Amino acid sequence: MTLKNNKLSNNLFEVKDCTIITRMGGVESAINLRELKERLITCSIDCLYYHFCETLIRPAFDNPEYRNDFALWAAYNLRDRVLAERLGIINPYSFSNLEDLRERIIEIVEDRLSCLSYILSVPKGDEFIFMRAATVVFDTGLVLKKPSDLLLYLPKMSKSTLYYHFMEARRRTQDRVDDFTFWLQFHPDKNQRIIDALSQIDFYFINLNELKSVLIKTLKNVVNKS
Amino acid sequence: MIAARSLDSYKKIAGEIAISQLGQLSKNLKGAKVVHVNSTREGGGVAEILNWMVPLMNELGLNTSWVVIEGNEGFFDVTKAFHNGMQGSPVKLTNKMIKCYEDTLKLNFTRLQNQLEEADFVFIHDPQPAAFLDMCPNRKGKWVWRCHIDSSNPSREVWKYIKSKVVKYDASIFSMPAFAQPLPHPQFIIAPSIDLLSEKNCDMSSKEISEILNKYNIPDNVPILTQVSRFDKFKDPLGVIEAFNELIKSIPAELVLAGGGATDDPEGKVVFEEVIKAAEDNDHIHVLMLPSDSHKTINALQRASTIVIQKSIQEGFGLTVTEALLKEKPVIGGNVGGIKLQLHNHYTGFLVETPEGAALRIRELLHDKDKLNRMGKIAKKFVIENFLLTRHLREYLTLLVGLKCELTNYVLTESSNC
Repeated sequence: MTLKNNKLSNNLFEVKDCTIITRMGGVESAINLRELKERLITCSIDCLYYHFCETLIRPAFDNPEYRNDFALWAAYNLRDRVLAERLGIINPYSFSNLEDLRERIIEIVEDRLSCLSYILSVPKGDEFIFMRAATVVFDTGLVLKKPSDLLLYLPKMSKSTLYYHFMEARRRTQDRVDDFTFWLQFHPDKNQRIIDALSQIDFYFINLNELKSVLIKTLKNVVNKS
Repeated sequence: MIAARSLDSYKKIAGEIAISQLGQLSKNLKGAKVVHVNSTREGGGVAEILNWMVPLMNELGLNTSWVVIEGNEGFFDVTKAFHNGMQGSPVKLTNKMIKCYEDTLKLNFTRLQNQLEEADFVFIHDPQPAAFLDMCPNRKGKWVWRCHIDSSNPSREVWKYIKSKVVKYDASIFSMPAFAQPLPHPQFIIAPSIDLLSEKNCDMSSKEISEILNKYNIPDNVPILTQVSRFDKFKDPLGVIEAFNELIKSIPAELVLAGGGATDDPEGKVVFEEVIKAAEDNDHIHVLMLPSDSHKTINALQRASTIVIQKSIQEGFGLTVTEALLKEKPVIGGNVGGIKLQLHNHYTGFLVETPEGAALRIRELLHDKDKLNRMGKIAKKFVIENFLLTRHLREYLTLLVGLKCELTNYVLTESSNC
């Protein structure tokens, strides 16, 4: 993976877009919690990223109950609401890296296993299937010159653009910051209030339509107060 | 064949952003020669997909063609056996069957050799043309096997043979993760889609809908329940009749079982006769064997329905479910294949295991019109956001860019030299 932010030398922000295509994760599926734990230990971190973060941009039903696939599987296939709730509250972006996230999920699963008197297996067809995705990033042709352009052009940005710059950026950058913030930090017309406001957004538990509204509202609030 | 439409005509439905994304993605693929190969020009979901996908890929600057393999009845009996075997039916493959299959494909290959050898990308749809790769040692492009059917539990004998043919492909595509079989190359997941501008899905006036109901003598003074599908045992039309007979003990309704045959499906006639027999004593069951171009009729039947049924016991993706959801109809569907991807209990429909389960859920919805309407609205939104052909095309383009870049997991198009 190429790790980089979108800051350009002349302070322009090149707006990108991305698409993903889902592929099989390369580990066997899990039919019960014990197998899930075993697979979690060995699966690629791309699988963890897919099941926690790429759920937003793949074509699937936007289940309002849980944001990650592990919680959904626990709730609807294992029918273990306790486990589903514990997995459901995990915010993957709060971990410093995906290995730490892996450790936390395994911890939760192990803890749950220790409380169960028997291990329930799901019927064929309901297994947890590990997936990952291939990503293609491309130009949109849109370039932002000054911070105020961000509010101007946000309504025209695709959901996948927002995903790429606001969420996926945190995976590809060492300081785990979104691309907008990174750009604004180094811009001569830097507006610290915007940067602070962006950092306050609790984005993981909302979908991308909601994220767009929240971003627009947040920026408008800052502009109005200014 | 339906008339080709331009990308511009999809702007209103999918939005300008979606169309612009396709243009940007395809910049890296201009002039690439893409060949799609399948076994029928009409009938079934694959032909429907290729009917729109090929012209749109061409409009985006790819040099795309679609070729169909030809064969006699014996050949299609074998490929039907492959199809059934891939869907889990026990099938015995004899040497004679294999010889008939391979000899026919060799004849087809002679006809298509130049096109296949020169292509940059070849998509082989379903098992029927799968053996082409072995016959094409001088190929220069990437070959992808696109499996549209539910291959989650294939007959061991059939899969052993098909696997020996597809194992050397550069990649394969399945409609759902559960359908994928262990193969040594990357396996991608692309769900199919529907075309909102096609005759089968475009808006219709109430007058047009009434005319079609009158044509087939279907009363509309009681709820209409419809299953649209080929007359195929995996679609369980007899189970639908059983569910209906249970339902009308308490609620008056009409049942429409509408379907057609396809040129590669010799078993359809047998199943159709069984359905006719099961329905012969009930005037409220309407069994319609429709020609493959009856798109408007199917559109009208789905729109006239209160609830749509797809009680399959094996299913590929189930585009008829997607079509019904688009028309704001909750669907009662079998808990199998791609139907599971589309029906979410209490949101877009209900997944059921038995005829009794289907009858129970139909009853529930007929008694609660508010819930029925609410689910219909969620269903439509779900389809618009996930199953339009623009999303489908975008995923194919994403795969092609990925293949061009040797299947790197992360491609930055402006900086890649591939």
